[in-house]
Amino acid sequence: MSEELSRYDRMEELPEAEIKPKMGFSIVWLIPILALVIGGWLVYKAWSEKGPVVTLTLKSAEGLEAGKTKVKYKDVDIGQVEEISLSEDISTVIVKLQMQDGAESFLTDRTRFWVVRARVAAGKVSGLGTIFSGAYIGIDPVKEGKPTLEFVGLEEPPLVTTDTPGRLFTLKAAGLGSLDIGSPVYYREIEVGQVVQYGFDESGRAVDIKIFIQTPHDRQVTDNTRFWNASGIDMSLDATGIKVDTQSLISIMLGGIAFDDGSDPLAAEPAAENTAFPLYANKDETTKENYTNQNYFLIYFNQSVRGLSVGSPVEFRGIKLGEVIDIHAVVDDKTRVFRIPVTVAIKPERIHGFGAAAKSTREDLRKYVDRGFRAVLRSGNLVTGQLFVDLDFFPDDPPRELTFEGTYPVIPSRTTEIKEITESIAEIVKKFEKIPIDEIGADLQRTILATTATMNRIERLAGRFDAETVPAMTEALESLRSTLADLEAGLGSDSPVNFQLREALGDFSEMTRSLRGLTDYLERHPESLIFGKEGDQP
Amino acid sequence: MSPAPLTAREANLIGCRLCHLLIPMPKEPGHCPRCGARLHQRQPNSIARSWALLIAAMILYLPANLLPITISSSLGTSQSDTILSGVLYLLNSGSWAIALVIFVASLFVPLMKMVILVFLLVSVHRRSRWRPKDRTRLYRLTELVGRWSMVDIYVVTIMVALVRLGALANVDAGPGAAYFAAVVILTMFAAESFDPRLIWDRMEDCDE
Ligand SMILES: [Zn+2]
Repeated sequence: MSEELSRYDRMEELPEAEIKPKMGFSIVWLIPILALVIGGWLVYKAWSEKGPVVTLTLKSAEGLEAGKTKVKYKDVDIGQVEEISLSEDISTVIVKLQMQDGAESFLTDRTRFWVVRARVAAGKVSGLGTIFSGAYIGIDPVKEGKPTLEFVGLEEPPLVTTDTPGRLFTLKAAGLGSLDIGSPVYYREIEVGQVVQYGFDESGRAVDIKIFIQTPHDRQVTDNTRFWNASGIDMSLDATGIKVDTQSLISIMLGGIAFDDGSDPLAAEPAAENTAFPLYANKDETTKENYTNQNYFLIYFNQSVRGLSVGSPVEFRGIKLGEVIDIHAVVDDKTRVFRIPVTVAIKPERIHGFGAAAKSTREDLRKYVDRGFRAVLRSGNLVTGQLFVDLDFFPDDPPRELTFEGTYPVIPSRTTEIKEITESIAEIVKKFEKIPIDEIGADLQRTILATTATMNRIERLAGRFDAETVPAMTEALESLRSTLADLEAGLGSDSPVNFQLREALGDFSEMTRSLRGLTDYLERHPESLIFGKEGDQP
Repeated sequence: MSPAPLTAREANLIGCRLCHLLIPMPKEPGHCPRCGARLHQRQPNSIARSWALLIAAMILYLPANLLPITISSSLGTSQSDTILSGVLYLLNSGSWAIALVIFVASLFVPLMKMVILVFLLVSVHRRSRWRPKDRTRLYRLTELVGRWSMVDIYVVTIMVALVRLGALANVDAGPGAAYFAAVVILTMFAAESFDPRLIWDRMEDCDE
């Protein structure tokens, strides 16, 4: 204690501080300024690199994760799923996508989005990478079109993206058959396209199948091209042996469509995009007069339709285009006017260039009517009094408008003058009168006498012929019969050839069935490709 | 009230910060004659320096939390995690204890440190006389606990070093890690710069 006190007392002995001038501005303030610059730069970067936000409506968000799932184009990340929510009526899922800067240029109403997951379809396994990496959102960007930020996602990835050159066509069929999306389209046994979409047509009773044909093969499709269903096997037995006709093994399992360019030089021009064609059941059908397109029209005649019946032909300058399918009388409730609508069905394919349904629009029909397209009743058979509907152009006819009754266009009619009919009858009668019936009678008598004489001579000749020729002929017939018996034994219904043939065909159909079973199983259990069939596991 | 003890300033003395040599107060700021360290009655610019470092830390606290701190990729998919998304992931996967440690060390402690320092600085500015002992205790707490907020950086560093399995699995430090480290260092310096003697100076002012 005394020591400390003594040290305290020695305060005077403490050393003196050295004096140095004071520093100016404190550089410590550079740190927050630097932090502010960095922060500002980060904000600017985040703001300037922020692209548009896209609203995508999907049926299901399966495999999608907010903040994780990417939007990819050609395997390049161009966006990310930011938010997943349900729509107000909870029927769909609304996915918000944060796109990268610059995405506005290809977000148009023709751009399509879909979810890429691993799937097996139409014999092809796609999106296998997503088993490990998770689903992602695919995009088919199209620069042309109206800019939009709201999209409805596709259920299936499109088989054809906009960057694949080619054209779409529509096939009209009674049913889908074994076709599916992805089914191949063949041209001379080479795959040149695919089925991309199908659905009911406007009437809801037939099926429209959309196919895509790649460039340059789309040029082979002309207005005269016939498409047929190439699914399964077409087998025929003829003098040259068994003929099996099939496009490929794939088409047996998955169905397929084949087409051939018609040999008609009139329609050598490539058909326009989205032209509709009928789809025939098989190749043979394409050569038959079988038309799937039927257009219905109404015609009001201001005269008696006696002699016109259901089934009466509708002709254009002598070519049958269709037939009458209904005739009845109606009376207007207010005006008390009686009218007789005649419904006719016309198969437009009978006229080249008119056949493509997409081409013969109402506008075209209106132009035809302007040029004098009219329906006229004409006599087809003078004896029975049968009438038929004749379609033709009458440019001198007073102008008429094309009207519509419901969905049916009404073809204006032209009254046939009764005189026209009677005149033609008179002409025929005149021709009949000119026939020299008396002279013909005399000639006939003379001819009969001469014939009798000839007959007598022939009879005598035949007597001699019998005696000399018949035995030889009998012999020849005998030997022919024995040959036929041998042939029967060899090729008859119980013959070994027949039996083997039938067995071979049976085996083949069994193989086809098991192949179909395999693809069905793969479609339901794509994982079996990797993990094996269920139940096989130890 | 017992009389306040004599302070060095009242005795017109000054202590060297480094070698603790006691020197009579010079007329102008000078240097220790023994070790050459600069002599200050109180830490010079203590408040300004604390404020500067603290503001810098607060600015960088935003990118540290908004930017991903780890980028992990496995089997082709990469996932970037911010501190908060990492905590939420741990919480969802049931490791609530680890989630709590990370939350306290990475989010709570730096934030509390900044809040306490702001409070102390504001109270010194306002010449507050409110509970000087408690405020000193708060200051000690920030100094003590500060280094523990480095936990996250350690975790990231160790993960980056350990998980290097090529295409199978990979962990990389994200840009947020650098900002997070900067925040921790800046708050440590800010706490260091703050001179707790300033809290007591106000008490003496009032006694006079
Ligand atoms: Zn010293």
